[in-house]
Amino acid sequence: MVKKINLDMSTVENREMRLGTIIGWDGKASQLIEESDYEGRSEKKQGHGCGGGKGGNCRLCELKSPLNQQTMCANAIVECQIGNTEDCILIQHAPIGCSADNPWFNLAFHNGLVRRKKKLQNLKIMSTNLSEKDMVFGASDKLKRTIREAKERYNPKAIFVSMACATAIIGEDIDSIAEEMEAEVGVPVVPLHCEGFRSKHWSTGFDISQHGVARQIVKRNPEKIQKDLINIVALWGTDYFTQLLAPLGLRVNYMIDCANYNEMHQASEAVATTTFCHTLGSYLATALEQHFGVPQIDAPQPYGLAGTDAWLRAIAKVVGKEKETEEYIESEHKRIAPKVAELREFYKGVKGFIMTGSAYAHGLLSVLRELGIEVQGSIVFHHDPVYDGAGKHQDSLKEFVDNYGDIEHYSVSKTQAYQLPQVFRRVKTDFVVIRHQGLAPEAAKMGIPALAMGDEHIPVGYEGIIRTGEMLKGILARKKFNQVLNRHVESPYSKWWKQQDDPFLLAKHPEILDTVIK
Amino acid sequence: MSDKINPQKLKLVKRPKNGSITNPYYGCTVGAAYSVLGIKGGVPIANCGPGCMYKQFFMQSFDNGFQGSYGAGGGNLPSANVQENDVVFGGLKTLDNLIKSSLAVIKGDLYVVLTGCSGELIGDDVPSVVKKYRDKGYPIVCADTGGFKGTNLTGHEIVVQSIIDQFVGDYDGEKTPGLVNLWFETPYYNQNWRGDYEEIVRILRGAGLKVNILFGPENEGVKAWKKIPKAQFNLIISSWVGLETVEKLKEKYNQPYLHIPVLPIGEEATTAFIRKVVEYAGIDKKKSEKFIKREAELYYYYIEHFAEFFSEYWFGLPSEFAVIANSDYAIAYTKFLADQIGLIPKKTIVTDNPPEKYRAALAEEYKHLSDGVAIEPDFVEDGYTVQQILEKEVTFGPGVPLIIGTTWEIDYARDHGALLLESSSPTTESLVVNKSYIGYKGALSFIEHIYSATVGGK
Repeated sequence: MVKKINLDMSTVENREMRLGTIIGWDGKASQLIEESDYEGRSEKKQGHGCGGGKGGNCRLCELKSPLNQQTMCANAIVECQIGNTEDCILIQHAPIGCSADNPWFNLAFHNGLVRRKKKLQNLKIMSTNLSEKDMVFGASDKLKRTIREAKERYNPKAIFVSMACATAIIGEDIDSIAEEMEAEVGVPVVPLHCEGFRSKHWSTGFDISQHGVARQIVKRNPEKIQKDLINIVALWGTDYFTQLLAPLGLRVNYMIDCANYNEMHQASEAVATTTFCHTLGSYLATALEQHFGVPQIDAPQPYGLAGTDAWLRAIAKVVGKEKETEEYIESEHKRIAPKVAELREFYKGVKGFIMTGSAYAHGLLSVLRELGIEVQGSIVFHHDPVYDGAGKHQDSLKEFVDNYGDIEHYSVSKTQAYQLPQVFRRVKTDFVVIRHQGLAPEAAKMGIPALAMGDEHIPVGYEGIIRTGEMLKGILARKKFNQVLNRHVESPYSKWWKQQDDPFLLAKHPEILDTVIK
Repeated sequence: MSDKINPQKLKLVKRPKNGSITNPYYGCTVGAAYSVLGIKGGVPIANCGPGCMYKQFFMQSFDNGFQGSYGAGGGNLPSANVQENDVVFGGLKTLDNLIKSSLAVIKGDLYVVLTGCSGELIGDDVPSVVKKYRDKGYPIVCADTGGFKGTNLTGHEIVVQSIIDQFVGDYDGEKTPGLVNLWFETPYYNQNWRGDYEEIVRILRGAGLKVNILFGPENEGVKAWKKIPKAQFNLIISSWVGLETVEKLKEKYNQPYLHIPVLPIGEEATTAFIRKVVEYAGIDKKKSEKFIKREAELYYYYIEHFAEFFSEYWFGLPSEFAVIANSDYAIAYTKFLADQIGLIPKKTIVTDNPPEKYRAALAEEYKHLSDGVAIEPDFVEDGYTVQQILEKEVTFGPGVPLIIGTTWEIDYARDHGALLLESSSPTTESLVVNKSYIGYKGALSFIEHIYSATVGGK
């Protein structure tokens, strides 16, 4: 039987349980593909057989380091999605520190609104601002009061309530409060169980956000289908999808960042759902397919020629525009060929390295290899051996390796900057591409400039190859600055650590620490 | 007199206490990790959830003038990243492994374990683990900084006092005459702190004092902290942060303190500040007076140039202003602009939630901004309420209003055509590298930034 996403529950099963997600691994990309056994897991998820291949039931081996550096958490991810809508309010039921990154997501929100040509506004996330007393006596009344205030201050279309470590430990019952208050304030009140300690990887926060939206915002039993509307699960990226999908006669409905209530509400009326990144989008796409009959596009991600071709063809099939799409693909290939050839000439002998989330890295890697950039290694912050949709054509790492070849040093590691001295000794690179904080400044001190891919849609589609290629020129030039830095600024890591060769030494041999720290 | 200049308006907006917060102006207690980073060789070890340090990073550093960080780094601090297992079964083993590996991998002269909400709520005996390493000779201390205890400023005091108790230790030896401990702006949180430390240290040295610098660009690392008990006195230049610490030092090391509640900006205030400190320290005035003379000459050399623009610019300059900032910057900026430039203060809102016991004294300072100029400050930590106060209680006259504020006032500034200079946390439309608005030199930069923005530059 297919294991369906259960929208009756307010909680989401963690990624590590649902998908077998890991956050520590080191080896060849091809080896990780083999160990992941996507096919076996996919069959199991689809309800065929029980485990299929050898890996279907097996947990991936995982490296666990005694040393960890700061990362994101699911609670922060919920801020970045639910806290960035136009007319819904997120309440963080937490002490004030959980909101200390509000200004960061405000900056992202501003940029997203400008890119999507929407009205500028500050985000309006609220915090219940809990104190020590609340930890002792409970904070339910504060939450109720804040829900009323949210309604009174902003008259939102929906109110979301997020759980934090502190409120989870003291056992706040946000489900009952949400139910009670929904009747009072007259708009959906959506509980989100995203306390930071819940999952070992922050991306569970995407699933939790999307679960809440699918469960309480998306229109049940839509009476019509908007045949020209396609859901794109996204973050704040520039609207390149409209241009890319125009020949197929499609309008884009971006979910969740920068969207408003009506846009999220109508997701069940769309003709299909797809995304720029399976890590981000597969949960919502699967929920919409399983519960609202909106098909999820079973295709590789839209990066590089092969990926974009296949992605467009899969969408064309759903909307019945195969002929137009073939013409479009052909003309696009022709159009970009001279420019791509020019860029490939420019990037001869240049080496690159990716440090981002998992599925997005697979897309970026495709684009680098399209540009003729050599990639000897990369770091992804987690690895999902399968996605929720488990579609035959969604095995993004395999798609990449099949099309563009293997990666010798493919590491799974969650923003652990201390590994970089070893990583950049075994692998040479002229630049890194990053998302998420902490790694780029460390690479910078080693003389390596970073492309902070803040507008995540830049590498998407045919034009994305060119956009990325052009943008990287400016980044390579910055190496001058990084060399200055390298000449004059010290690394924060100890002499002993810098002498080691294996970035995963501490995970493999934690006992070595006892010879250093006596 | 003051009532005529600034009539008491009816308070139209409710000012809830300890209520909900939209658009916060500070982080939580565990954000004091950044106070540790303010010490050279200081390494915070975060014993908290996976997202805690990420969140604090933005309020303190990245979204506070994109300050960046030094040494152990801001975006990648060692962290326990507490998981469900740790919550259920206790997190001491995870913490032990984290401490051991941090000591091995990250260079440092002082490691400070900061325990956040999770660790405190599950009641782990953190001191026992930390003591194990301290007994082996490692420079390591711990601080109870559960996020629910308060702001990053609450945390700053807790961390500073933990270092004093567990690292500096007892002392009953001689004092060094003329040596003064400098308790000044909170690292990172006060976004100009680096530039301000440089300027204040330059001034104090110029005046003939030996300054023990505990944070910032000229801090000599933990060596300075070990010297704390030897100082003749503590100089605290701060609205309220640090007062608990100097009280403690009075007890612990029998050290008196001099409290300067307003950061000095401009020649007149800075000169008065120097004379006060020199008088208190009882050192020779010849050196300080010579320094003052030279600084004043330079200052007015520049001010005379500026006066030409200020008197003759045809196309309009702001004459009214509001300040939304932490306690230190709020009074200092309001006072300088009202007293030395002659701008009209319409509203000052203090955003860092100072403890009740200090508020009357803080408000008192606003009664003497300048001859005939007084206002009543507001203490509000909720961005929504701040915006409501600006909307409903403040009326600016014709001309462009000047807002010295934070990133949260962007909506207001846009809607009202105000000129917003982001100068307090959080700030995402201004980059701080080496900036100071205090003392002699900082005052000139402050003028430069305000009027450069006024004439169209950003």
